[in-house]
Amino acid sequence: MSFQRIWRLKDILLNLVGIKCSDCGYTSYPPKAACPKCSSRNVSRISLGSSGKVVSYTVINVPIEGFENMLPLVIALVETDNGRVLTQLTNVKPEEVYIGMEVEATVRRSATTLDGYVPYIVKFKRSSTNNA
Amino acid sequence: MVILFRHVFVVGLGMSNVGRFYERSLRDLAGEALFKAIDDAGNAVPSFILVSNMLSSQVEQENLASLIADYCGLRGISGFKVEAACGSGGAALIAGYSLVSSGLADVVAVVGVEKLSERSTPEVARGLAYAADADFEIPYGISFSGLNALVMRYYMNKYDVRREEMSAWPILMHENGYHNPHAHLKMRITHDDVVKSPIIADPIRLLDSCPMSDGAAALILASDEVAREYSDTPVLIAGIGNALDSTDISSRFELDSFLASRLSSERAFKMAGLSPKDVDVAELHDAYSINGVITLEDVGFAPKGKGAKLVVEGKFRPGDKPSINTSGGLKSRGHPVGATGVYQVCEVSMQLRGDFPGIKVSGEVGLTQNIGGVGSNITTIILRR
Repeated sequence: MSFQRIWRLKDILLNLVGIKCSDCGYTSYPPKAACPKCSSRNVSRISLGSSGKVVSYTVINVPIEGFENMLPLVIALVETDNGRVLTQLTNVKPEEVYIGMEVEATVRRSATTLDGYVPYIVKFKRSSTNNA
Repeated sequence: MVILFRHVFVVGLGMSNVGRFYERSLRDLAGEALFKAIDDAGNAVPSFILVSNMLSSQVEQENLASLIADYCGLRGISGFKVEAACGSGGAALIAGYSLVSSGLADVVAVVGVEKLSERSTPEVARGLAYAADADFEIPYGISFSGLNALVMRYYMNKYDVRREEMSAWPILMHENGYHNPHAHLKMRITHDDVVKSPIIADPIRLLDSCPMSDGAAALILASDEVAREYSDTPVLIAGIGNALDSTDISSRFELDSFLASRLSSERAFKMAGLSPKDVDVAELHDAYSINGVITLEDVGFAPKGKGAKLVVEGKFRPGDKPSINTSGGLKSRGHPVGATGVYQVCEVSMQLRGDFPGIKVSGEVGLTQNIGGVGSNITTIILRR
C-alpha cells in the first residue's frame, strides 16, 4: 500500500461505498464498473451502512510484510444490509469473536504503509447496543 | 476461412525436485525441467516456449521466456510468460494447447518455475496476497492464509465439520507424498501433529498449509500429426477449461464453494465428453486443507458438505476411483506457485503412462485442477491415455 493508493481510495474505504444495480437491484462491495450478477453498467454507488454481523473471521499470527506490529490481527467478513465487507475487528479479544456477532464501523489507524504513512481505515467493533 | 482443429498430446515431461534450494537459481531449475522434458520427448525441438510463473519479480527477473529459451540453447524460438497467480501453470497450458490445436505450432514447451526461498516469509506472503484484491483487501493486512481461513471457518460452521475431519486431508496427503521422490515434505503426520502445529491464520494451522517451495516442471505438447514421432505413450489432452471469479472474497456469491472450480470442470468435462465418475486419478490444488475439500465437491467427486467426511471414511486413497493427489498434493509435494499446474499435469500423465515414481495407480482418465487466488482463476484439464 502506498500513500497515493490510499489517497485515491479514501472515499470508498472510509465511507464503505458499494454499488447497487439499477437493472436487477443487486448490491455488493467493493464497487465495480458493472453488476456482478447481470453485467449491467447501470450501477450507482451506495453506502453499505455502518452496522452488520460477522459471517466469518480469522486471527492472523503470520503477517504479511508491513503488519508485523499489529498481531494478532483479527479479520472478519461482515455482512451488512447492502453487501459483505472484509475488515479488521478492533477493541475485541480474538477469543471473544463469534459468527453472528453484531458489529459497527469505526475509523481507526491501519499499519504504516511500506512508504511510511499512517492511513485511516474503517474497522468494526462490537456494536454498542450489543454491549448494553 | 479454414479453421484448423488438431488434437494435442503430452509427449514429454520433466520435473526438478520440489524444495528450498538456496544454491540454485530460477534459470537453473527451469533448465533442468526443460532438458528432462525434451529428452523424454526424444529430443523434440519446440518452436514455442511458454513460461508460467507468479513471483519472479521477487528474484528481480522478468521476461522469463527469453531468459530460459536462451539459457537452454533455444535462442530465436517464439514465446512469452503467462501469469495467473498460483494458477499460472494451468493458464500457460491453455495457451500451449491453443497454439498446437490452432496449427500455429507443432511442438510447444510449457515450463513452470518458481523461486521463493530467496525472500523472507512476510515478503513472500505479501507477494502471494497480491493475488487477492490489492485495493480492498491488503489495507486490512489480510494474508492469503487468512483469506482461506475465512472460507474454512465458514465452511466448517455451515456443514458442522469438526477439526479432526479436516485433518484427514493433510494426513492422507503426507502418506501419499512420503513415497514421492520429488516431494518437498516427505514425512508422515498424525492428527495429533496437525492439532499441535502452530496456528497460521485460525483455523488454518501449519499442517493445513502447503510449504513455500522452489521448483520447475516442463511439458512438451505436440499435435496428433507428430505426437508418435516423439513418444510411444502420448497422453491426450481431452478437455481443458478455465473460469474466473472475483479477486476479492467480499463480493462472492457463495463462500463455501468455488464457482470457478465448478465452471472450469464443467467446461473441461463437456469438451472431453466425460463426467466426474469416469476419472481414475486426479491432482487437486490443496494449498490449504479447505481447498482440497471444497474442490472435491465442486469438481463433482463428493456431495456438497461431504468432502472431508468422505476422506475420513477412507475414500480417495490410492486405488480408489478416483485416487486423489497420489503426488502428495500441494501439502506434501509442495507448491512452487507458478509451476504447480505444470507439476500436476506431469504427475497425472505419468500415472496414465505407468511410470509415476511414487505410489502407482492404474487408470485411463486423469484430471488436474490448478487454482489462482482464492478460487478466482481456475483451470481444469482432463487427460486420457
